[in-house]
Amino acid sequence: MFLAAFSPKSSDDVSPDATLMQQLLRKDVGAFEELYERHSRIVYSLVLRILRQGSTAEEVVQDVFLQLWRNSSQFDLRRPFVPWLLTMARNRALDHLRLKSERQRRREDQTEEFPQIPVAAPEYEAALDDQRRAERVRALIRSLPSAQKKAIELAYFEGLSHSEIAASLNEPLGTVKSWIRNGLLRLKEGLQATS
Amino acid sequence: MNSHDQFRDLIEAYAIGSLDAPERAALEAHLAGGCDECAKALEEARWLVSQLAYLAPNAEPSDMLKGRLLQTVRAETASSANQTGVRQTTVPWWLWAGVAALLLFSVYSAWNERKLRNEIANLQQQTEAQQAERQKLEQELTAAKTQAHEAMIWSDPKSKKIMLPPKDPTMEPLEAMWHPDMGLVVRGWKVPSPGDKRVLQLWLIPKKAGGKPMPSVTFWPDASGKFSAMVENPPDAMSDTQALAITEEPIGGSSQPTSTPMWVGGVS
Repeated sequence: MFLAAFSPKSSDDVSPDATLMQQLLRKDVGAFEELYERHSRIVYSLVLRILRQGSTAEEVVQDVFLQLWRNSSQFDLRRPFVPWLLTMARNRALDHLRLKSERQRRREDQTEEFPQIPVAAPEYEAALDDQRRAERVRALIRSLPSAQKKAIELAYFEGLSHSEIAASLNEPLGTVKSWIRNGLLRLKEGLQATS
Repeated sequence: MNSHDQFRDLIEAYAIGSLDAPERAALEAHLAGGCDECAKALEEARWLVSQLAYLAPNAEPSDMLKGRLLQTVRAETASSANQTGVRQTTVPWWLWAGVAALLLFSVYSAWNERKLRNEIANLQQQTEAQQAERQKLEQELTAAKTQAHEAMIWSDPKSKKIMLPPKDPTMEPLEAMWHPDMGLVVRGWKVPSPGDKRVLQLWLIPKKAGGKPMPSVTFWPDASGKFSAMVENPPDAMSDTQALAITEEPIGGSSQPTSTPMWVGGVS
């Protein structure tokens, strides 16, 4: 049920999400409700994992979906919807986390309200259905050594820099850089190999 | 390895946001120079990074959130329709004539039409920028209010300090401050992360004999083990509470404890 929220591609290559976004441009409340039903669980799961407090996470999820409603015209219908939505939700949650902890640093490049996701998704994106891709991502990251997995999680869910991760894990800076890059490349290769 | 290859090696870290400032600035300058290969790699890396969201434990938002959102968007739709109606009834005939003239003129002048569209786009951008700024300010205000509220509880002489020693002597104790009117704050350092799909949950143990523990907030420590959890409206009064306890529970919290308390502190 959880993973069913991700949008499969229809045969004519126009995803249900793209159709719903077209309806959202006309301020169709029904389309908004359906987009919420399809994606609120993964967005909430991600934001909750970052913020770790249910009430705050719901505030951020509310902001994300209201942003979607109010500024739907900024979405490029050629882009894959879910990665775009997740990137926006992550940016919002990390901004909130940084604000709360008074850690004003880094990632100004990713603070834009509407993130840049490729117009054409990588080839292996379409080849895997959403549930299999989710399982594959989890399995690939689980297969990494625990410290490398931890470094990637600190970067993605905590928004920490290489230096902060190195200090947190008490590991050399160069090691942390290699862990993150190689971990992501391994994830990419794993997804490509599955396609 | 040439300089381009060095920049190419930074793309994945840039996409996940972990580059330190000097490397980030150097890569941004390289990208601004128009390197198509790196720009394409960055787009793909951003897509790849977005897939890490699947690592988050599954969780479901409350039904109240959906209700609030739908209420807001329906209200905005109704408001927009009303404004349109007002405009239709108050616009004088001569203004409609002016609009018609403008439309006719735009048919004959493609250049003028393009100019008009650009102006509208600029206005939209300004409106959206103002909306974003307002939302950012609202977030800052909410965070500042929370911090101020917590600080007031910690500094008010009416507040009562409660120490929560750990059951496991290798762990650090937690501390709480309870104000009879402003609420309760619990905080701690070097707190170990709960297990997979688990959270920490605060409980109020009532004085009344046979009374069941009252469930309160759930929370996680951050990467360094630090946390601060505030309960503005505790489920029971301080005078009726014998102790505070913290247990590990499934994500979403429990209605009654399912594990042995890790920290317990007497209130009175």
